[in-house]
Amino acid sequence: MATEHAHVEEHTHPGPRQYVIIGAILAVITLIEFGVFYLEMDAALMTWIILVLSSSKFLLVVGYFMHLKFDDVRFSGLFFAPFVIMVSIGVVLMALFFNLTR
Amino acid sequence: MQYLSGIDDHRTSTGLDNRKMLMWAFLGSDVMFFGTLIGTHLIYRNRSLSGPQEEILSIPITTISTFVLLMSSLAMVLALAAIQRGNMGSFRFWTAIVCVFGSIFIGFQMFEFAEFAHLGLTPRTNLFGSTFLVMTGFHGTHVAVGILWLWTILFASYKGKIHQGNSLQVEIAGLYWHFVDIVWIVIFGVVYLIGAYGAEGRALEEVHHAARAAGIG
Repeated sequence: MATEHAHVEEHTHPGPRQYVIIGAILAVITLIEFGVFYLEMDAALMTWIILVLSSSKFLLVVGYFMHLKFDDVRFSGLFFAPFVIMVSIGVVLMALFFNLTR
Repeated sequence: MQYLSGIDDHRTSTGLDNRKMLMWAFLGSDVMFFGTLIGTHLIYRNRSLSGPQEEILSIPITTISTFVLLMSSLAMVLALAAIQRGNMGSFRFWTAIVCVFGSIFIGFQMFEFAEFAHLGLTPRTNLFGSTFLVMTGFHGTHVAVGILWLWTILFASYKGKIHQGNSLQVEIAGLYWHFVDIVWIVIFGVVYLIGAYGAEGRALEEVHHAARAAGIG
């Protein structure tokens, strides 16, 4: 039963070839981020571009390298529940802080 | 047989391995920890009254160190794939690469901190120095712990204590390593790229403003 489980898990995870492709995509996104930094553009637009690119990298690592895309959904819950709470608190605190000190 | 019973011992009523659940719960709590540090840094952004700020961040150097850390994550997942297939030679090679890349990242960070100190930025200089150095220093400590953990696993594999049968131990260490990587992805994007964008212009503007106020400009 245990070996069967391990066998199934091994086959549902991506293989080395896919990992290398993901690694290459991550490297290219980092290069694009670097290039975007030196472009002259509106700061708000640049912020959104970097947020989208960083989020893509984040999701690729979490989904493929950490196997959350393939593992039990409860592992995703354990990780993303605090993540959502953290981001929400951060956004609210920043909004509150900027409003109070302006 | 001993391995099979070992796996069964770690199963819970959820059907999931308790060690893996513990690691994910720990990573969830660490998300909150880093969230606090990054949030504090962002709240205090551009509020330092004196001393250097974002304009001293070197984006080219940090891009290279980010690339090195990303590639260490790739090496980590290749090490895991190797041990799951029972290829111990490949596992040891990729684990050693992770440790070397992690050490290079730490080297970059030490160089950066030394440069900042040379430019007059320490944790006591201003709000930027306090929040930035605590946040990145805390991340660097995580990287250092990860390197020690992986060296331990590498040496344990030579003693036969790490093998295909208990590759979950490598997977758990890998989860920690990838977490360190995703935290850096956020710091690099939000703190370095977004933070430093246009920072030189803002710093020059402040200097001109101060000069005008002093009646020089």
